[in-house]
Amino acid sequence: MSTHFPHTETPSAELAGVSLSYAKHGPVLKSLDWQLLPGQVVGLLGRNGSGKTTLLETLLGLREPDAGTVRVFGQDAGRLDDAARARIGYVPQQSDLFEGFTPAQLLAYFKSFYPRWNEAKVEGLMSRWDIARDKPIRKLSGGQQQRLSIIRALAHEPDLLVLDEPVASLDPVGRRDFLRELVEQVLDRGTTVVFSTHILSDLERVAFNLAFLSEGRIALQAPLDELLEQVRAFTGTVTELASLFSRLGAQPLKRTPLEAGRERVLARLPAGVAVPLDAQAVNLEDLFAELT
Amino acid sequence: MDPTHFVHINTGSPEPIYRQLIEQVKRRVAAGQLRAGDEIPSVRELAQALAVHPMTISKAYSMLEMEGVLERRRGLSMVVAAQHQKAQPTADRVELLRPTLEKAAAESRQLELPKASALQLFKTILDEQAS
Repeated sequence: MSTHFPHTETPSAELAGVSLSYAKHGPVLKSLDWQLLPGQVVGLLGRNGSGKTTLLETLLGLREPDAGTVRVFGQDAGRLDDAARARIGYVPQQSDLFEGFTPAQLLAYFKSFYPRWNEAKVEGLMSRWDIARDKPIRKLSGGQQQRLSIIRALAHEPDLLVLDEPVASLDPVGRRDFLRELVEQVLDRGTTVVFSTHILSDLERVAFNLAFLSEGRIALQAPLDELLEQVRAFTGTVTELASLFSRLGAQPLKRTPLEAGRERVLARLPAGVAVPLDAQAVNLEDLFAELT
Repeated sequence: MDPTHFVHINTGSPEPIYRQLIEQVKRRVAAGQLRAGDEIPSVRELAQALAVHPMTISKAYSMLEMEGVLERRRGLSMVVAAQHQKAQPTADRVELLRPTLEKAAAESRQLELPKASALQLFKTILDEQAS
């Protein structure tokens, strides 16, 4: 497991001070900083419309930010050379497969672009996931198109895998199978993975780290285990809680005012501090609701 | 050992997955279902069976090793540590229930339940599972 978290290596992707606005919607990313280290599996959490897809497209160099820098494998994301490009796998939210092609034609076409291509993996997944090789892609179901898109993204054994809602059309069995494939990538290749989904149970299994996108920034990134152990919900008067937090060294993450000078506060305790008994433990769904 | 039935995990719980793994292995060792020398699934096998990040599994195994529940044999496989020859005495096993019951007791007090009612419910639940 020594391939995980080698902090000295170049980040797989690094965004610094990235801002991006759409003419109609206004600012989406606001001076956002974010780092993906080699071997990390990061779950990207954010509400609908919070800009997850925009962020992932910007990370891949598909959108040019108004300000800031985006680097992938140490190179400017907008001007990646072919070698760096070949190390990226991407499953977009909207299928971008050529609908007139058959899966066999599509894969043969992509194969010609990559120096590396794992034919055995492709064949194995095509059979296991039961995808008709010679039927036009437009005639495949949504789930099958999504599977094909995943196979295409894994075929060239990428070092960075970017998955934007990759399992939305898959049934629970298909999702579990996909997660196993992801775990295998991590085990065999130490692939860096960033994964956006609203299916929190999937993230909980495979994403060791979570990043919360809120108001155009990564508001928090931390290992899920640490968040579950260190984040608690407290209820009390504003003054009570202020003195409790200063005594514990707790960092407030989200305040919700209640009646009569009281509030509910989600706060992160320093590692190793004894958790007060009346503090409420939270699960991933609570974290999502409060921090995005 | 079949990795798919070695442990079960619950997603959506405030208890991290690695904690769930640790507690389940401890309970099975305490009950004598897992004994000294029994080989447990490798990190790879269990990560794939549960579709869980391998670091989560290796974190749980390392902590179980530090606590003397598991030991690393030559090569890579982990086994149940030598001191766990048989099930622990009832008095020790019942202590493993304490954290769960403390939580239940706190909730029972919040609900202002009479002690007898809470105990009766626990008894009923125990009987249901047994039958």
